[in-house]
Order: sequence, then C-alpha cells, then structure tokens
Amino acid sequence: MIENGPLLERLLEGEYICSVTDEHSFHKLQNDELVDDLNHFLRPLNRRVAKNDDGSVYFLAYCDLTPNARQHLSHQFTSTVQSLLPMLEWMQLVQEALGRDGALSLGDTIKLQDFESKVVDNQSLIQRLAHLANDKVFKSTSDKPDMQIKQVFKRIKELGYLHQPHKDRLFYIVTGKVEQLIELVRFIKDEENLPIDDELPEQEVMF
Amino acid sequence: MSQAPKQKSTAQSNPLFALGKERLELIGKHADALMQGYLDGHINESAFSQQALQKLLDSRVLDYPDEQTLSLRPIVNELIASLTQDERKRQINSDVGEHLDQIHTRVQSLQAARQKGDYAATEHHLQLLTERVNDMTGQFGDAIESLWHRLNTEFGFVSSLDDKILEIELAQRQLRRILDGFGIINFDDLIQLAGSDGSLRKLLVSQLQARISEHSGSLLEVQKRLVLLMSRFRQQQDKALLINRMSAFLRQHPNFQVGDYPNRSQVPAVVNQAHGIHAQAFIALDRPQDSYALAELARAVPREPEQNAKSESQTQGFSVALQNLVATEQKQLAKDVEDFFIQVIESPEALSGVDYLAEKELPWEPEMWLFQIVAEYQGLPEQNKQSFMLEKDSAQKSRFNQLHIIRDVKVGMHLLGNFQAVG
Repeated sequence: MIENGPLLERLLEGEYICSVTDEHSFHKLQNDELVDDLNHFLRPLNRRVAKNDDGSVYFLAYCDLTPNARQHLSHQFTSTVQSLLPMLEWMQLVQEALGRDGALSLGDTIKLQDFESKVVDNQSLIQRLAHLANDKVFKSTSDKPDMQIKQVFKRIKELGYLHQPHKDRLFYIVTGKVEQLIELVRFIKDEENLPIDDELPEQEVMF
Repeated sequence: MSQAPKQKSTAQSNPLFALGKERLELIGKHADALMQGYLDGHINESAFSQQALQKLLDSRVLDYPDEQTLSLRPIVNELIASLTQDERKRQINSDVGEHLDQIHTRVQSLQAARQKGDYAATEHHLQLLTERVNDMTGQFGDAIESLWHRLNTEFGFVSSLDDKILEIELAQRQLRRILDGFGIINFDDLIQLAGSDGSLRKLLVSQLQARISEHSGSLLEVQKRLVLLMSRFRQQQDKALLINRMSAFLRQHPNFQVGDYPNRSQVPAVVNQAHGIHAQAFIALDRPQDSYALAELARAVPREPEQNAKSESQTQGFSVALQNLVATEQKQLAKDVEDFFIQVIESPEALSGVDYLAEKELPWEPEMWLFQIVAEYQGLPEQNKQSFMLEKDSAQKSRFNQLHIIRDVKVGMHLLGNFQAVG
C-alpha cells in the first residue's frame, strides 16, 4: 500500500486520473483488487474510487451522502452548471477553428499557436473568442486575442479539463474530465427532457 | 526456383516478353504526364507529341471513353492505385467464381495433356494453373492489405467524419464480399478435382486451404476493428451534436434551471464527486530518530530577514564576525574609560589609571587600558582638555633609543586650580 501513497494523495486532493494526466496510475486503477484496497482505506474518509461511464477517468466520490457531502456537491454542481455554457462554447470554438467535425475528446492535442493563427484569420472566431474570454469563468481583461486565448486555456487547465505536459510550452492535451462533463450534459438533457433532440430525425439520415 | 535460368531463356524468346517490356518502358517514359492524368482524372493531350499519343493509345495505356476526354485505361488506374496504396481509387476485386471456373478448365486441359503423354504441355498447364491459384489468393491478400491500410490510417484519405463513416460502410461491404467469395470455394470439389495427383492436391487443397484460413482470421480482425472505429466515429459525431444543441439551448434559455440533483434521495453518480482534502503534516519532535532529519531541514531553511547581513558575512567570511566582536569590545573599553574620567571629575585628587583598573577589576590589559585613557584625553576638545591634567609615569626603556614605557597615568582636575587662580 505504501507505493500507492502518492496516488491516494492525488485522488484525495480531488484530482482526476486519466490516461493523459497519469497513465501509470490510470492503468493501476483498472485493477479491481487495488481499487478494493484503496476503498478500504478511504472508507473512514467517506470516500470511494469512482469512474465515469466509459471508464476513461477515475476520481473520488462520497460513500454516504451526509448533509456535509450534499452541501459540497450542491456547491460544486452549481459552479459546474454555471461554467457549462462557456465550456461548451469553448469546445465548439476549438473544434471549428481546428476544422474538426468530431467533438474534442480525451487525448486530443491542441497547439496554442495553431489555434491562435486559425482564430485571428477569421473575424467571427475573433468575436466569439472575445465574448467567451469576457465570461466570468475566464475573466480576461485583455482585448488582444493572443492574451485572451492564453487566459482561457490557463483557466480551463486550472479546472482540470486540459493537461499541459511541459510548463513552458503552450501545448495542451484534453483530459478525461471532458468526457465526464459530456456525460453530465447528456444526463441533464435526458433528466430534464430537454427538447433538443427535435432535429434528430433529419440528422439521422446522415448516419 | 531451380528452373529459373531455364525459364528465363524460354521466356525471353517469347514474343510477349519484348512487347511487355516495351510497354512498361513506355509507361515509365511518360510517367510525369500519366501521373498528372491519374491525379486530375483526365489526360492533357497537349502533354504528348502526336506520335507518342498514338503509341500510348495503341499500347492500351490511354483511351477515349468518349470523344472529348482522353484518360488512363481503368486497368492502368488500378495499377497505380495498387502500387501507391491510394485508397481513394484502389479497387477490390473479389470475383472468386471466375477464378474457380478457370481453375476447373485448366485442370481438365492438364489431365488431357497428361493422358496424351505430352510432357511439355502438362508442364505448361501446371504453370498456368499455379499462376491462377496464386492470382486468386494474391487478390484476397491485396484486398485485405488494402482494408488494413485504410484501418490503420483511420480513413485519413477523407477528412470529414461523415465521409469516414461512409468509407467504413463501403469497407464492410467489401469485407462481406470477400467472405462470400471464400464461401464459394468448395474444398470437396477441389479434392475430387485433384484426384490422386499429389502436386495438384498440394496446390489446390493443402496450400489453398492454409492461405484461405489465414485470410479469414485476418478478415475477422479487420471486421472487429471496423466496428470499433465506426462506433468511435459515431460517438464523436454524436458528442459534437450534443455539444452544439446543448449550447444552443442554453443560449436560448438563459434562465434555465437545472434540477437539484445533489439533494435528491438518489444522487446521480455523475454528480457525486468528492471535494479535495489536503493532508497536512507538521514538525514533530516526539520521535528521537527524526531529530537528525529535522535538524538537516532546519539548517536548509533559508533565513530571509537576515539575507543582507548574511550575504555580507558570506562574502567577507570570518573576519567580519571578528571585527564585530572587536567593535563591541572597543565600545566597552571606551565606556569604562569614560567611567574612569567621571570618577576623576568626582574625585578630589588625581587618580592612578592602574589602581582604578585593579580596584574595579576590569578585564583590560593595563597597557591597552592606559593607551585608551591617553587617547581619550588627547581626543577631548581643547577647552575640556585644559580642565584635566594628565601625568605620565614613564621610564626610558633603554639608553640606546628614545623609547619611553608608560607605567601609569595619573589624571586629575585642573579645574580647582583654575578656580583658585581666578578666585
């Protein structure tokens, strides 16, 4: 168990472990026996190892939903929902700027320079970036696209959706937390019966 | 393979050899223009001289599918696609029936020749039969290799997800056709056809069977991977759609309220994410075995407030510390001498420095003490100096120089005398 100390600590600190943030630990966590051992240790702390639907990211969840735990979950959920639209708009912006037609996914790499050069070439992308950077989630005060981009990516890295392998290089990898966010979006859509599937029949033809 | 030299000489005498070589060279000669035509989809007539154009047409490299357009013949297109692994144009030909028909005919000719005892004809038919079988399995091999190649590049030759999905569907249909082709090959028939002939049995049954089962295994793997890739592409497309629609919805409904999931009786798993705990620890001195490590740490702690003094003493080293010490002593000495003068002022008669030193049990060396008293006296402002009288008790050290050793000083006040004089 000693050798898993650092992993436990990272989990306890609220980190998300995926193949991008820590490949070695991620593979370890795929071992059910180890997860049982960790859970045994975590039980008095009212925590357990949890993973998302497709098993691409591990994190800690509460065992018992005590009033304290619920209070924290409420707080966290509110802030996630508040940052939901800016996050989705950011994902769309990156996807469109880089000319991809699939959503940003775990392991996708983004070179800030590429992204910037695509954005500054296009007036509508510049406007969308400025709008996004002004959001209270990103809080950029600059009116220069390059500074706005830096600030937005820095914040998203702080939120755990991006991993920066080299501190001094502006090169990011999408983490598994993004997958978790998409799962949340899908859950909200289903749970609230949002009428956003309306166009589906027309789109389905494409598949 | 031992027949190779012999085959070569007979092959070279074959009129086909010269013609085929000439035509391959012709293709090589016009490689630039032909490749340009391959990429553009049509050939620019003006790239060739009239004579060369005619030659290419006669050689069945180019033709006019309709009167206006000149283009590569389909077989040449296919050749280039196959050589360059160009998956946009590569075709998969899996017509097994045709091959099997030819194999049947060839075996019959072979057996007829053998019955007639025509050894040369038998040999010839066997060679053609071997080629035919190799063609067939080679075609499967090519098709499978093409499928693998497309899989491994994740259908990179088309850019959009929609196109990739269409390409996967196409690949799946091709794969099914190849598998159907395998189904047509009836090994019972082939066993009967080969009869008791050992070489035929080997060619048509054991070798073919081994190849086909190898290909089948490969195809199953391709099939599995195609399904996985398809589901991944669909997922990506699905996610992009979800993101677009959800953000559009949220923009249209800025006051949209999400349910209070964290306070439901059943909290959804997707919301249950524990907050971070920082496990802190502090210095504890209750375990003697830690003391060394802790001391090391303590020594390693940089002392910031003293940084200036420290950097100075670091550069000057030990001497500064010593200087500091001397300065402190010097101050103390000066203070003691001052006290001595105060004592002199209070005292009615002149005091001996040496006596005072002994009386007060001060730590100074007599020599240093006397020197300081003299220095203090000399340092006084002229007016004050006149108030004191200093008497040195000195003796000549030697007859040979002017050195005088001061044994003691007596300091007394002039003041009284002055007053008396004035009075």
